[in-house]
Amino acid sequence: MTDLNRRTFLALPIASVLIPTAAALFPEESEAQPPRQIDFTQNLPAKGSFPDKWIHGSPSCLDNRDPAIQVHWYNEHTAILRQNKAYSYEAPFMHLYFGNERILLIDQGYTKLAHDWPLREVVELCIKEWCLRNHRRPEDMALLLSFTHLHDDHYAAIDQFADRPNTRAMGLSHEQMIGFWGMTAYPTQRVSLDLGGRTLLIWGSPGHTVSEFAYYDTYTQILFTGDMFYAGRCYISFWDLWFASMQRLIAFVDTHPVTHIVGCHIEISRTGEDYPYGITYQPDEAPLQLTVEDLRHAYAIAQKVTEPGIYFTGKVFLCNQTRGTTTVDQNPYAYD
Amino acid sequence: MTQQTPLVTPQHTTASPVPVAKSYPNGNPDAPMNPPGARNTDSCLPLHPTAPVEHIYTTEGPAPGDIAFRWIHGSQCAATNKDPRIQILTYNDDTFILRENPCIHWEAPFTYLLFGNHGALLINAGATPEPEYYPLRATVDKLITRWCQSRNRPNLSLTIVLTSAEHRAQNQALGQFNGLSGTARPNTHILLTPPSTIDLGGRVLDILPTPGTHKDGLTLYDRYTQLLFTGDLLYPGRIQIANDRDYLRSLTTLTQWSDHHPVKWVMGGHVRQMFIPGRCYPRFANFRPFEHTLELEPTVLEEARSHAEKIIGQPQVVFRADFILLNRVGPDEQGYRTSAEFPPIDVPYWLP
Repeated sequence: MTDLNRRTFLALPIASVLIPTAAALFPEESEAQPPRQIDFTQNLPAKGSFPDKWIHGSPSCLDNRDPAIQVHWYNEHTAILRQNKAYSYEAPFMHLYFGNERILLIDQGYTKLAHDWPLREVVELCIKEWCLRNHRRPEDMALLLSFTHLHDDHYAAIDQFADRPNTRAMGLSHEQMIGFWGMTAYPTQRVSLDLGGRTLLIWGSPGHTVSEFAYYDTYTQILFTGDMFYAGRCYISFWDLWFASMQRLIAFVDTHPVTHIVGCHIEISRTGEDYPYGITYQPDEAPLQLTVEDLRHAYAIAQKVTEPGIYFTGKVFLCNQTRGTTTVDQNPYAYD
Repeated sequence: MTQQTPLVTPQHTTASPVPVAKSYPNGNPDAPMNPPGARNTDSCLPLHPTAPVEHIYTTEGPAPGDIAFRWIHGSQCAATNKDPRIQILTYNDDTFILRENPCIHWEAPFTYLLFGNHGALLINAGATPEPEYYPLRATVDKLITRWCQSRNRPNLSLTIVLTSAEHRAQNQALGQFNGLSGTARPNTHILLTPPSTIDLGGRVLDILPTPGTHKDGLTLYDRYTQLLFTGDLLYPGRIQIANDRDYLRSLTTLTQWSDHHPVKWVMGGHVRQMFIPGRCYPRFANFRPFEHTLELEPTVLEEARSHAEKIIGQPQVVFRADFILLNRVGPDEQGYRTSAEFPPIDVPYWLP
């Protein structure tokens, strides 16, 4: 596994040309079924669906019988993974995008060891399943591991892939992160990543942390905003950076079609009730996906914000420079 | 010819000497025939009792007893935790401390089961109602059965007292006893408004009304072990004051009580503090490998009282080494504070 700097990144398309040649060396497999070339540019946006309910923890975590990782195929070429709340209260979402030549896994969950939480095993199974459907060999597919931002609930399991061949992982520093995407003018520069016919647009989206990206998939037209904007408490550490990122997002949705805006967590119920930080059972979770209108509405509210505090938009809590684990909870037993 | 010295001197070493009563009305646990384990008790039970064993609960000083090992504290992944659902600690032959597994409920409350000659007392009832998750009644039944067998007694009656009936982290398994989930337990008395003393048959507990963190808060004092069971009022963790005037009044009551009644330890209902002074685990944490001890020295009574006095009417968080007071603020207000008094010590995450 190597860090991807600008030079190797630029060399990637050359390697992808070589892959079909390599596949020709194994006639018994390529003869049986030639690799299915998927056209990711027609009939956009590609249809897909979210589950009615994600796994959402249980009253007793010890008795949780859900899988450690829920795999939801948004469509044939896109999987969204969720960590079980009984394995980590953060229960982050991870995205797996498949292209003709490479696969991108954005975020790697909040549990480090494969023994505790088998992220790699599940991702390998997903890749195998996709390759079977599309007549490919998993070892021919390059895997890119990136994350939305530099917080450990988004990259903890990255080391599980350390010995995986044909895999490149984002490094754990700001410079390595922007170097991975070959950016020279962070955060404003927008770069495109070619997964083999499927293009993703990536640009800087700081505010929750300094080192953070927004990802836009041209195939599903999903805008992935990480922890900067999601259905829950957006902890805004740097208001000015966040507001500028918000302006970039608004400018983007003005010029590009967006089907859904998704983040990394759900911390709010369907009725707008806040699920406090750290809770392990969220029986009535709000949907993961937000709409462009939700983003515009939050932006309208954000324009009026001048002071630190918690601002509720109806879908999202904007926690402007509050402490990291601040909630809106009160003592239920207080009396006069 | 040199004087011969014995090769091995049998010694029982403990870090802190357990205060043992000077007189042994139930048989001397220090007698040579008793193995070292018997030192945590003053009852030397006959192997095959032919008549009901009558225990004398009057001792000089606190009854023997110790908490000599670590509590179960959850695990990195709660779903794969392999600890027992309820950890039972035999404090002494007539006193049991039960802890709910933090992976079943993050509050991981402690419940206490005390025995007297004619009755057992359960203080508090856990945070989880479902018997399949948290089999409190089955566990208590087994303990009572075993206790009765070794003393050649028929079944004992069980009394249940809650340190606060409204506290959802301490009253949930009550339904396992009163018939709300399953059948009602026979021979059980649930006293939500108990009298000022409860006599279990030679073992007397005093009950003091102590509102402050809960409107209906109670504190129990066991004359035998000299433990003070404070529930949510005073425990190593983030104490949410529900009414600061009542809280101060209750702590004043307890400090005055401790002037006339010896208190060995203050036993709360939870542990949320870390062993790092002034640091606490956040709410909902179900993996807490560096917990503070459950037992608090009786000096915390005066410490808490003096600080409660200063914050009447003010929204404030008071950080102390062994507890944190939260007055008129939300439960997540200010996770920790660093100052000269509380140097920024990192949580040693690299330890197992």
